[in-house]
Amino acid sequence: MTNAIRSQHQPGRLAGLSVRTILFVLRARAVFVLIALLVFFSAMAPSFLTTNNFAILSKHVAISAILAIGMTFVVLTGGIDLSVGSLAGLGGMAAGYLLTQGILIAGAVHYPSVALAILITLVLCLTVGLLNGWLVANAGVAPFIATLGTLYIARGAALLISNGKTFPNLAGQEARGNTGFTLLGQSSFWGLPLPVWIMLALFACAWLISVKTPLGRHIYAVGGNERAACLAGIRVPRVKLFTYLASSFCAAIVGLIIASQLEAAHPATGESFELNAIAAVVLGGTSLMGGRGSIPGSLIGAFVIGVLSDGLVMLGVSEFWQMVIKGTVIVLAVAVDQLQSRLQARFLPYLQSAVPEGTE
Amino acid sequence: MRRFVRMLAVTISSLPILVSTACHRAEMLRPLIIIIVPSQDNPFFKAEADAAATRAGALGYRVRVDAHDDDAYRQDNLIDAAIASNASAIILDNAGADSSISAVRRATLAGIPCFLIDREIEADGIAKAQIIADNDQGARIVAEEFVRGIGPQGGDYVELLGRESDTNAQVRTRAFHAVLDKQANMHRVAAQSANWSQAEAFQKTETMLQAHANVRGIIAGNDTMALGAAAAVKTSGLNGLVITGLDGSPDAIAAIRSGSLLATSLQPAVLIARLAVDEADRFLHTGRTGKPERQIIPCDLVTRQNADDYGDFEKLR
Repeated sequence: MTNAIRSQHQPGRLAGLSVRTILFVLRARAVFVLIALLVFFSAMAPSFLTTNNFAILSKHVAISAILAIGMTFVVLTGGIDLSVGSLAGLGGMAAGYLLTQGILIAGAVHYPSVALAILITLVLCLTVGLLNGWLVANAGVAPFIATLGTLYIARGAALLISNGKTFPNLAGQEARGNTGFTLLGQSSFWGLPLPVWIMLALFACAWLISVKTPLGRHIYAVGGNERAACLAGIRVPRVKLFTYLASSFCAAIVGLIIASQLEAAHPATGESFELNAIAAVVLGGTSLMGGRGSIPGSLIGAFVIGVLSDGLVMLGVSEFWQMVIKGTVIVLAVAVDQLQSRLQARFLPYLQSAVPEGTE
Repeated sequence: MRRFVRMLAVTISSLPILVSTACHRAEMLRPLIIIIVPSQDNPFFKAEADAAATRAGALGYRVRVDAHDDDAYRQDNLIDAAIASNASAIILDNAGADSSISAVRRATLAGIPCFLIDREIEADGIAKAQIIADNDQGARIVAEEFVRGIGPQGGDYVELLGRESDTNAQVRTRAFHAVLDKQANMHRVAAQSANWSQAEAFQKTETMLQAHANVRGIIAGNDTMALGAAAAVKTSGLNGLVITGLDGSPDAIAAIRSGSLLATSLQPAVLIARLAVDEADRFLHTGRTGKPERQIIPCDLVTRQNADDYGDFEKLR
């Protein structure tokens, strides 16, 4: 193979340095696109480059970034999780129900505290994640189909909880002892909104798991070659189960944040969020075939999408053009991704200190 | 032999169904009214469907409620299903002024009279009645209240539009501007579509307030977007912004009572649904509705002063 390529292309004539530069630029393209967007919008919209706007921008980004962080794990194993948007909706509705309707225990209505309501919501969403993981890892259902099914189930369940209505006034009441839910989405620490801190915390955890723990390496291994991973003694079903649990956990967090921001839970919340998350993951250089990509990439991908949509709103661009532009950026990013992997495959044999797959 | 056994099995297994059918025969003999609305997860359409179903039940009809999710193809299938179920009448909140004409015509040709509510179609003489809320007048009265709320000194405002491909979104924004553009000292500094959605209105309002710091008011094409804008304004710590909605949802009326919204315009969805069922009933008995085909019902302005007079899309007092 190596000889065949060498005889065909003779890339050895190119200086290794310039090859490496090209590859670096291509690999870090999301960062360059992000910088270009930031420069462009700062020049075009006068109030874009303010700390306050960055706080709000990152709060908007947090929604798709948190989903993208969970989604990255799933995509790294070669799977996909279409249910995250519906799960966010279900999470918000579950919290809304617990805070406004309470739980009927022995004929009396009890209102759980905010912490308990959040805990129950997380457990509920993790159960759906468990179902996703079991369907994919143990029942052998294709991830696309399994999570498409749970997408509908979760959306239907969210609608059933309230019979289609919105739960308003999630601020809670002193008398019921359940105030404080609004802090989750509306409070700030050291100039950054709490959702951004949650995003950063989840990002740090996910990044550490992906590069520093055996589990992280197993996730890459399963995505790279499932059969080989299995033969190497990796418990593939357990690894896959973890990824779907992580994804549903992130979805639940997003649902809670949105409900807290709006002080209302609407059952249609989160429609098509999964597509935004997948777009962020792909923009960040994670391959939908699995085995290649990174958590920081997805975070940057989410920022690219967030900066693009907020910047266009500030410029007053119409919704229709926003959709066209967003789609164009996604398609171009994936096209460049293909170009990069082809170039990398061609040049890798000549680069002494080749970057191993997965740690880019 | 095997065939016989199979037939026997089928007959036996279908016995419970046959028995229950016989029990429900009296029920089945009652004429069926099918109510088709855009969705059931929206308080407006739900109130409309519930009101129509309750009135039809009270008049002695069997009722079935379907939702077409604003999908003209799905609506087509539901109309076919209505024809197949031998319905007596269809109450329809349609999926598009142009794309619904053929479906309504098909039902009419099949002998099922259609009574359109909330949204009209671009054709006359097919439906037996088209009863709609006056979106234009509703948007104008709320825009006038918005101007009053901003005050004589005027100022900058932003607009949240509905889904731009919806006829209603276009009618509403046109009516807003028929009023607002006459005000020389009021300027629209930004406009974005939030697709009728609360979460989207929240994010877009936050961003627009960043770009335009001196905004004094937000005029929204419906109540959910107005509530999203109000939440964003609250988070940003700004005070005294004038925000108005349109539709008259219970949540918006509660927000008007608490002062976070200035006003909304209530579409009498419940009244319209009841009128449609009453006219359908009259048509089925006498062969005519006794009303012109197109009936336009005016909207009511809801402010803090009269908020207690209004309930779930209807005037209580």
